[in-house]
Amino acid sequence: MGALAIKNVTKSFGDTHILKGINIDIEAGEFLILVGPSGCGKSTLMNIIAGLESPTSGEVCIADRIVNEVAPKDRDIAMVFQSYALYPTMNVRQNIAFGMETRGVPKAEQNEVIARVAKMLQIDHLLDRKPSALSGGQRQRVAMGRALARNPKLFLFDEPLSNLDAKLRVEMRVEIKQLHQRLKTTIVYVTHDQIEAMTLGDKIAVMKDGVIQQFGSPEDIYERPANLFVAGFIGSPSMNFLPCHLVEQNGQVGVTLQGVEAPKFIALQDRAGLKERVGQKVILGVRPEQWDVENTPDALVCKVKITEPTGPDTMIYSEVNGVEMIARVHPRAASGPGTTLPLVLDVKKAVLFDPETELRIA
Amino acid sequence: MATPNAHYGFAERWLPRLVLAPSFFLTLVFLYGFIAWNGYLSFTESRLLPNYEWAGLVQYQALFENERWWVAVRNLGIFAVLFIGGAMAIGITLAILLDQKVRGEGAIRTIYLYPMALSFVVTGTAWKWMLNPGLGLEKLMHDWGFTSFTFDWLVNSDMSIYTVVIAGLWQSSGFVMALFLAGLRGVDDSIIKAAQIDGASLPRIYWKIILPALRPVVFSTLMILSHIAIKSFDLVMALTGGGPGFSSDLPATFMYSMAFTRGQTGLGAASAMMMLATVAAIVVPYLYSELRKDQHG
Ligand SMILES: Nc1ncnc2c1ncn2[C@@H]1O[C@H](COP(=O)(O)OP(=O)(O)OP(=O)(O)O)[C@@H](O)[C@H]1O
Ligand SMILES: [Mg+2]
Repeated sequence: MGALAIKNVTKSFGDTHILKGINIDIEAGEFLILVGPSGCGKSTLMNIIAGLESPTSGEVCIADRIVNEVAPKDRDIAMVFQSYALYPTMNVRQNIAFGMETRGVPKAEQNEVIARVAKMLQIDHLLDRKPSALSGGQRQRVAMGRALARNPKLFLFDEPLSNLDAKLRVEMRVEIKQLHQRLKTTIVYVTHDQIEAMTLGDKIAVMKDGVIQQFGSPEDIYERPANLFVAGFIGSPSMNFLPCHLVEQNGQVGVTLQGVEAPKFIALQDRAGLKERVGQKVILGVRPEQWDVENTPDALVCKVKITEPTGPDTMIYSEVNGVEMIARVHPRAASGPGTTLPLVLDVKKAVLFDPETELRIA
Repeated sequence: MATPNAHYGFAERWLPRLVLAPSFFLTLVFLYGFIAWNGYLSFTESRLLPNYEWAGLVQYQALFENERWWVAVRNLGIFAVLFIGGAMAIGITLAILLDQKVRGEGAIRTIYLYPMALSFVVTGTAWKWMLNPGLGLEKLMHDWGFTSFTFDWLVNSDMSIYTVVIAGLWQSSGFVMALFLAGLRGVDDSIIKAAQIDGASLPRIYWKIILPALRPVVFSTLMILSHIAIKSFDLVMALTGGGPGFSSDLPATFMYSMAFTRGQTGLGAASAMMMLATVAAIVVPYLYSELRKDQHG
């Protein structure tokens, strides 16, 4: 059953076109992540799903029902706003209770729900405070609490964790994941955080300039990015884009990479459609962790410019084919700046892009 | 090192006082000095000219036995309640309606705000013509054929104070609207959105969430309107002149006619003191609570 379907939705404010034909379809119980750079229209899309703004054209269906003409309160949704949107003159308890009061939930049940939500979000001690007396992270948790006090068909979270400190963020992330596993409610979740996107999402929609660049599972997005933008946007540090020429050697199509020594030919095995492109320029996309330090004759010898130890891994900055390249290697395999390091590429995982269209070709 | 510092400190300390001194002095004499003088006069038997012989509370006794004074007080009660309540209600309603992203909002706002640019004398005169049975609304209706239509509040001593209310509302509601519109614009849009998702109706959103958040605006507006109401003088003078008879007198017009046209300076001074006490009764608690809030952070 389709929990949420967005069909050809566009949104314009006067002459500015914010959303340009959005199509999304998710099943009940799925966790959809919306990611994209600031200003790409994520919040606008959330508002349209919630019914707070109407689309210029297109259709929104929630639980197989077209809701274009349905008021927000009748869409059976709960939303956490990017700016918290707490009611300023009410204390935390009243903030959480307001929706239940409006819906006529009995007092005893209200108190039960408030207690449950407050415990889960660790805001028990804040219940009698006004929003103005809370920190950003505490406000964000209250905003979450207000949404969790309902049991809707669809949760809409607009960057709910962006203001929390690292530790609380991880805790809340796990909490949200457990919540989702327990309730099995469909969730649409906006975030800037790669890790949140990868760990929470069943589906990820990567947006840019009001267009969905790619819509797929986290694995799809990470391993088979549709274009240069998606490849560069997801993953941290981001994918290396190495400009190359497609060449044919000994009947095999491949690219040549140059570190500090003579260029090395790297064969790209069994990929469809490469033969026709021999001689053309391509961009080889390699994620930092797809390099390994290995002293074999096939290794590409690179000069280490900077090292960045992050704890479990060390980032090696060097230069390949004239552009900066980052490799994520084991700290014990790393060597200091100025030295050289033999790097071996996991060819199967590397991807190729057309520099003109920026689309992935293989 | 010590000497130039001391010089600098001297100028620093005295220059502001020097600059402020003239206005401080003028305020002291012309405001508080005259209040004190007026206060003293209210305890004398002054008639046309001041008389400085202490007479105790005779003027206050005369004031409280004066029927015209009580008419003025009662009128002030009617006027203040209807004027303040009405201007708040109309102003808030207009502001909320205008806040719904209507087209041509700028023009509408200017139209509503325009009466505030007129002086109360102009407002009073204009409404005097409009409400005059022989000239204005009633005549218009008669000319249109509604001969049974009567609207004679201006010349009806039971109703004349309500014409003052009408003109006052016309003048001040737009101003209240502007204050509240500014306040409404300061409210985060997503709060309203959140409340919509919570299922609250628009009236409930405004009543339970937005207006409570605008409490400071409500208070300042109440303060401004009540002091306009208490010192209302020019509007009555231009519109009804306190008449018919003294049926639309307010304390301010009462004070004026006693002190300046009827040679009852002492009585006028006593009524002025009563007005001062009323204003103080409103302003002092307000100032007190505001100042205390400042101290507490
Ligand atoms: N009412 C409006 N009128 C005109 N333009 C608007 C309006 N609301 C939003 N926009 C524009 O739409 C674009 C998308 O805004 P939106 O809030 O959806 O971005 P976002 O993806 O949520 O960004 P962020 O990650 O910073 O929250 C922005 O360029 C914004 O300026
Ligand atoms: Mg946003």
